[in-house]
Amino acid sequence: MRSTYNEEQVIEQLRNANTQRDAFGKVIEHYSSTLYWHIRRMVFDHDDANDVLQNTFIKAWTSIDNFRGDAKLSTWLYKIAINESITFINKQKAANNISLDDDDSFLANTLESDEYFDGDEAQLKLQRAIATLPEKQRVVFNLRYYDEMKYEDMSEILGTSVGALKASYHHALKKIETFFQEND
Amino acid sequence: MKQEESEILKGLGKNPGFKVPDNYFEEFNKRMMDSLPEKKVEIIPYKPSLWLRVRPAVYAAATIAGIWCMISVFNHVNGSKTPKIGEIAEQLHQDDNADEVIMNGDMSEYDIITYQDSVMMEMEHQGDQLKKVTE
Repeated sequence: MRSTYNEEQVIEQLRNANTQRDAFGKVIEHYSSTLYWHIRRMVFDHDDANDVLQNTFIKAWTSIDNFRGDAKLSTWLYKIAINESITFINKQKAANNISLDDDDSFLANTLESDEYFDGDEAQLKLQRAIATLPEKQRVVFNLRYYDEMKYEDMSEILGTSVGALKASYHHALKKIETFFQEND
Repeated sequence: MKQEESEILKGLGKNPGFKVPDNYFEEFNKRMMDSLPEKKVEIIPYKPSLWLRVRPAVYAAATIAGIWCMISVFNHVNGSKTPKIGEIAEQLHQDDNADEVIMNGDMSEYDIITYQDSVMMEMEHQGDQLKKVTE
């Protein structure tokens, strides 16, 4: 059974060297699933998502003393997860001789044969469409469409104005529609 | 939110079709805790800087030099010769000699008071230093 999570209490415990490790355990337990699904939608493959999630928590742990508590813990963790995902994708691009300016379509190519993907044809098509979006637009689309995150919260994570995020989401929707029309 | 969605997305739902191995999150959380690196607490021994160590001696030297300069300036203004501090102090400690110096008129009353003050200050300072050393 999952223990009750009190963010304020956890932040206090994170500041104390004696309780820091246990408190971080609570953070992992509380956020691992949310962050995993966000990372998974960015990198598509389960094993890759697992590695990126692990890196995210290691980075958060090693820099936990820099967390001042003026932002939400979730905002801080999302920021790290997004940065780690983009870093991973760029490394993959470099390893596959793909230009950094190209889209991330190559990531969705293995989805059909992925044992941890059981989506139908339409879901596969949607993932392929999402993979054609520029990374930041993809982040905005995923946070809004799948996580149903408020634009104000997104603005804190991405450091972008609400207006720009709305425009970005709108562009993403248009591109996905165009992809579906062109690949009908 | 509904106004933002396109007709295509409405028909797809929010399930992206991804799944994870059984008990993945429980196992991940445990594995993650086991792999968290230990945080090293570094204890840095206190080492006073060179300046902190020599500061009392520098202050003492500056004070003595300052007093000597003041005396020299006073004497220069008064047109009298500046004796060495040590000489004056020695003479002032011997009551008889002190009287003699004054009686001879080698020094003005003002000079004597100034020297006495400076010697007293020097002695007090030396006393403080001695106290510190013995403590």
